[in-house]
Amino acid sequence: MAHFHVNGQRHELEIEPHETLAEVLRERLGLHGVRVSCGEGECGSCTVLLDGLPATSCLMLALQAEGREITTIEGLGTEDDLHPLQQAFIDEQGFQCGVCTPGIILSSKALLDGNPHPTADEVATALSGHVCRCGAYTQIVRSVLRAADEMEAADER
Amino acid sequence: MSAEQRRRVVGASPPVKDAVQKVCGTLTYPVDFALAGMLHGAILRSEHAHARIRGIDASRALELPGVIGVVTHEDAPEAEWNGVFLNYRGRIFDGAARFVGDEIGAVAATTPEVAREALRHIVVDYEPLPAVFDAEAAMSPEAPQVHESGNVREPLVEAWGDLEAAKAAAAEVVAADVSFGSQQMAPMGRNAAIAQWSGGSVTLYTGTQTSSEVKDAIAEAFGMPRSRVRVVGLPLGASFGEFWSNNFMMVACLLARKVRRPVKIELSNSECMAHVKRRHEERCRASMGATAGGDITFVDVYHLFDNGGYGFKDDVGFLVPDLWGAHAPAGRFECQGVSTNLVTAGCMRGVGDVTMGSVVERLADQLAERCGLDPLEFRIRNQIRPGDVLRMAWGEHLLRRDEQGRKRLIDEVAAAAPAELRERWPELFRLSSGSTVEMLRSAAEEFGWQEKFVGWGRPYYAEGPLRRAVGLGTGIHCCGEEMEGNTDATVRLMKDGSVKLYCAVGRHGTSADTTQAMVAAETLGIALEMIEVEAGDTDACPWSRGSIASTTMFRTGFKTWAASLDAKRQLLELAGREVFDCAAVDLDIRDGVIYTTEALRAADAGGRAPAGGVPIPDVMMRDREDTFGPTDSITGRPDFPMPPSMTFARHFAAHFVDLEVDVETGKIRLLRYLAAQDSGTVVHPQVLEGQVIGGAVLGAGFALCEQLHFDERGRVVNPSLSDYKVLRSSDFPPEAAVMFAEDADPVGPYGARSAGEAPTAAPAPAIAQAVYNAIGVWVDVPMTPERVLLAIETCGQARTITNGSR
Repeated sequence: MAHFHVNGQRHELEIEPHETLAEVLRERLGLHGVRVSCGEGECGSCTVLLDGLPATSCLMLALQAEGREITTIEGLGTEDDLHPLQQAFIDEQGFQCGVCTPGIILSSKALLDGNPHPTADEVATALSGHVCRCGAYTQIVRSVLRAADEMEAADER
Repeated sequence: MSAEQRRRVVGASPPVKDAVQKVCGTLTYPVDFALAGMLHGAILRSEHAHARIRGIDASRALELPGVIGVVTHEDAPEAEWNGVFLNYRGRIFDGAARFVGDEIGAVAATTPEVAREALRHIVVDYEPLPAVFDAEAAMSPEAPQVHESGNVREPLVEAWGDLEAAKAAAAEVVAADVSFGSQQMAPMGRNAAIAQWSGGSVTLYTGTQTSSEVKDAIAEAFGMPRSRVRVVGLPLGASFGEFWSNNFMMVACLLARKVRRPVKIELSNSECMAHVKRRHEERCRASMGATAGGDITFVDVYHLFDNGGYGFKDDVGFLVPDLWGAHAPAGRFECQGVSTNLVTAGCMRGVGDVTMGSVVERLADQLAERCGLDPLEFRIRNQIRPGDVLRMAWGEHLLRRDEQGRKRLIDEVAAAAPAELRERWPELFRLSSGSTVEMLRSAAEEFGWQEKFVGWGRPYYAEGPLRRAVGLGTGIHCCGEEMEGNTDATVRLMKDGSVKLYCAVGRHGTSADTTQAMVAAETLGIALEMIEVEAGDTDACPWSRGSIASTTMFRTGFKTWAASLDAKRQLLELAGREVFDCAAVDLDIRDGVIYTTEALRAADAGGRAPAGGVPIPDVMMRDREDTFGPTDSITGRPDFPMPPSMTFARHFAAHFVDLEVDVETGKIRLLRYLAAQDSGTVVHPQVLEGQVIGGAVLGAGFALCEQLHFDERGRVVNPSLSDYKVLRSSDFPPEAAVMFAEDADPVGPYGARSAGEAPTAAPAPAIAQAVYNAIGVWVDVPMTPERVLLAIETCGQARTITNGSR
């Protein structure tokens, strides 16, 4: 039995050694917000947070994540209780087709945790592990900068 | 008060309908979709670029635990099916392979892993045939023939004026011969097709830009009535033309029919990149002339492109002749499609205008330089303006004329239109609205063009190995077309005042469902939140061209507007008869409440809330005099046709770039980007901005790095994002800006036209021009560091570096 901590919940699963983290999250736990696209760690759409840091779950064996705190987009906020980053991505329309969006939001979360006031160039560099094939980069950067402002304003209140 | 000032929804930027689902990861894409009892399919693909299949032995595969069934050409129906704009023609399987990766069979199994494993146990007896990978070579009568009908399609020619005389009279003439490799859509999020048969009917769930066209394709492939085919288009990742009607969708239906269970075929990313579709390989030979003063006298283009294994196109859907040919006394554009044994090629975003457009723009720039004009002046002097003749006005032969030679059709159509539209009816074969001119002027000022453009072939900054320069480019594309069928929409108003809009549009990131709902909300006078959209289910939506050929806002939007107008008319007639005791024309709807127009006028004049209103549900729920019961729903349908868009409507882009070339490494860095767009009235500024920037990023990727490579056997060697480079956030200026010129169209909904393709055509010319200004030499796309360095090295010997590599 392998033990996983996902989005604050504990799961005991019997898994095969070759199963990737993305497969376990998507197929076993039904967390479809883990979007798999290229399957080779290039596009970043399958990004999750492992102990707060971004990781491409399509390239990682599930067993490597055992015992670590795993956060998927479902654990960041919900439709009724959005995280400020999610709200900012809605307000700035920092997406088009939406496939890359969960991964980009999670990488942005990790960025803002370490650097609460990034510049536009710092955001663009921090997100360069992600492909947004729709080309919404300008709006994505704006969304992250807006979230940084909103989160600071909320802290001050 | 003008109509513009009264608008309540059009022009705002509300959150798009599926925004919350997208940021929460809860939207269901095809790969997330499942049916109870579903099996998983995998496609058997050819190892050869061209082969006859003598036999397929699947006996060992069928013995594997978990394998349920196999289909091959022996199971395939005899009929061919035709894709949209002939982007595909063929049987599902026919015992031949025409490119490496061509579908030749499929397996259904209990898990995807078993299905994929089973493929390895199928023995195919191939008879390899000679293959042809180059369009030029495929033209030869001795070349291997990809299809029995031959490799060479009928050329498409658009010509006007006396070309030879115009050539002789030109003071300056320039020429180019440019080859283009294939751009790959490189779609995100894969795709899947899930097929289910029930009692002789089939339902297919898949990601497509056009569910109506997929329905037609299935009906054709299986020789069954359209009434027995249902397609449910699901949200999908960026598509750019990859997922219209594709053969893997037909394979899923065939496999599900064979095993009598639902089957899901999920494509991997590399399958999407190597085996589904791509932009054509193209070669453009062109010349262009001008007077000494800089007036274009002729444009002459011969454009060859490859269709790959199953494309059957005879043209690349280009509108360049309209942009650059309106004032030229003579022109000739010949387009030639040719089959090859490469993966099927077809329309990709901005088709034709991205490739041919960039060649014509380069020639224009070279003429401008010779005439001593800057690129801005040269475009303003020569490009099309409203009222100018359209060179690509297809369909003139269909016009019926009366004894005086007048066009009858348009008079009949116009006569049936509502009064406000009748007055604004366009003249056919002339541009109705919009141009590059105003955009070029205002964007040049915003960009600081005059300060940064210091002359042709000269950087404004040179320090060490770095050269900085600016460039501008323009683009055009259509606003939908009607030659393969008309787009339709219906509106259903329910008794609680909420509305369902049925219009088959793609959900691949353009937010077309939201913008269509905005048009309906504006027309009906209700809040956007009261409208939901069914955009994918062909059992609910009337036939629509879908979201291809920049159809959606212009043509579908027109029908959404017309259907909403019809529902509103019915509702107001009901309200007038049952409630207000007045004529429908004396009533209007605001924020879901019906008022007399007099009450609305008085309220607006006095700056207060209108009085005497009756909410829509109160009208719907009232027992009627004629039926003795309430009105449960009202269905609105467009009750007049739309004039043919190809004969009058286009959309335009003008892009400005400031970039840096490192002459030691050859690397190009984009420093600043300004994209101006003329889509007529802007319905949703935020969505349109996204379309424009997205087009710029895709076009810049085409200009800088994107190219599929094939080996000597015709295999795609870079079907992955690690080997096929696309732009990332750090490759494009994060503060890129967008400007709108809003020249309202007389026909489009609220004056809107179309959006998504012209902004893909403008970046390559803008970047190529800026690179020329930086280093003094024209470089073909993709302008990789290697090509830039080669260009600099050979600068002394040749002024143009062409694409010689495959």
